Amino acid sequence: MKLVCLGLNHETAPVEVRERFALSEKKMTEEGTQLMAGSGVAETVVLSTCNRTEYYAVVEDGGVQHLEDWVCQKHDFTGSREGIFYHHEAKNAAAHLCRVASGMNSMVLGETEIFGQVKKAYRAAHESGTTSGILNKLFQRAFGVGKRVRTHTGIQEGATSVAGAAVELAEQVFGKLKGSSVMVVGAGEMSRQTAQALQSRGASSVIVTNRSFEAAEELAREIGGAAVGFDDWQNSLEKIDVLISSTGAPHYVVKPRDIEAVRRKRKFRPLIMVDIAVPRDIDPEVGEIEEVYLYDIDTLQQMANKARERRIAQLKVCEGIIEEELEKARLPGME
Amino acid sequence: METGYLIGATVLATAGAVFGWYSRAEEGLGNRAFWWMVGAFICQLLFLGERGELRGQCPLNDLGEICLFLAWSLTFFYLVTGSTYRLSLLGVFTAPVVVILQLVTLTPGALEVNPQRAEVVDAWRESHAAFSVLSYGALALAAVAGVMFLILNNRLKKRQLKGGIMTGMPSVSRLVQAMARIASVGWVVLTIGVVSGLLMEEGEINAHLVVAVITWVLYAVLLGIYFVRGLPGRQLAWGLVSLFAVSLLVFGKL
Repeated sequence: MKLVCLGLNHETAPVEVRERFALSEKKMTEEGTQLMAGSGVAETVVLSTCNRTEYYAVVEDGGVQHLEDWVCQKHDFTGSREGIFYHHEAKNAAAHLCRVASGMNSMVLGETEIFGQVKKAYRAAHESGTTSGILNKLFQRAFGVGKRVRTHTGIQEGATSVAGAAVELAEQVFGKLKGSSVMVVGAGEMSRQTAQALQSRGASSVIVTNRSFEAAEELAREIGGAAVGFDDWQNSLEKIDVLISSTGAPHYVVKPRDIEAVRRKRKFRPLIMVDIAVPRDIDPEVGEIEEVYLYDIDTLQQMANKARERRIAQLKVCEGIIEEELEKARLPGME
Repeated sequence: METGYLIGATVLATAGAVFGWYSRAEEGLGNRAFWWMVGAFICQLLFLGERGELRGQCPLNDLGEICLFLAWSLTFFYLVTGSTYRLSLLGVFTAPVVVILQLVTLTPGALEVNPQRAEVVDAWRESHAAFSVLSYGALALAAVAGVMFLILNNRLKKRQLKGGIMTGMPSVSRLVQAMARIASVGWVVLTIGVVSGLLMEEGEINAHLVVAVITWVLYAVLLGIYFVRGLPGRQLAWGLVSLFAVSLLVFGKL
């Protein structure tokens, strides 16, 4: 019996294929149990996220091809399989799981959500009785490796998205964002993502304004904020700490005089302004005001790119940790 | 023995500056500058204790003693502020200033070799000297926080957001808050120093006391504007740095 991993992910399969193989939590367990019912499969854990579906199994020799056939049949997949699936065996399968748990194989390198997803998938499989000696030891070790990789390397340092970079900037100015107020000018997708990222770090109130008041109200409802009309958004400047602008306007929406008018009322408190629009919404001269910290999409993109580069540079160190840990563990099923 | 304490304090503060710089990414008490400065503080206390014994009064009679008292006061406020507001990086900026002050004390001639024991001690005079120098420690630290703010502000404005000195820097808000709070504490202590000066037995208004009163008024105006009307962080920082530098220069000349 040996350990195998069969899977497909964002690098090997387009979204229309991935969605065919995607499984709910309940279905993951069901499929694992059904796999065990067939001959030659001793243990299984099925992992399914928006970017991957993977089967970890302990099978008889040659069982991985049988596993692939079974999975394709189960999901009624008749298209070309070329390059869609990857197979890993024994030590390579163990190393792959460690990479997945550490976020090294994720679309956003180093993201942390995958660790919880792997844990959930393992727990479900364990509770349904489809794991035993080999997979139990392997997953426990993979969780240990995942933790060590995250704490001993820079794989998750820095923000790799525009929204994340905006949060990082706001934290550099305000420290903790707990209790801070945000204004979103424009009700587009980027505004929503950035506002939600700030909320997730503690921003307590969000004011949304948009040329179409209905769109502002809709976004405000979605994120638990308040909508204000596009005619009097300037009146709310007094209360806010962060302004995010992402409208489709062909001219500057926020001008120096808008900020100058409220400086005294704000008692010259720091104000961070993030302009994610192209063409820009905020007149660059606004950045000349002493307590204003203005950043545009290029700055955020550069920050995200640099963080990504730093994370890529950490991959070698992470691989070293995985190799060392697997060597130390001497897991069964690796021959 | 007292020179030993002084050398010890200087070595420890230097170590604080060096190790603090390399551990600046670590937060709070993890910043090693803090513990080196605790060591330096103990050595400064031992030195000042011995000097006070020799003089029979507060040891503020020669250049060396004044510089060391100021270094002690600066270290004291850093230790209080650094841990309270998690502004450990302040230690990295404070330690070099402490080292310079202690090197001045170590300079031959800065300390009287055989200090004379005071025959008459005026309590108001002692209070005036001690509280004034103590306040200068806080005001120096506020100026150090001001320098940190100006560096941070400049980097943020120029979008130089990562690496180098930015590692472990506190946030803009925290630095503004720290500048205002430390300067306020310094101003309150200076108030006690100035009032004590006005109550001295000599009763005469000398140039030294006039400068102290002017300094007290200027700090009051700056802090008053900040708390009542509000002030951009950059202006507060420049105000604290220049007020401290100018007043120190004037006192040095007197």
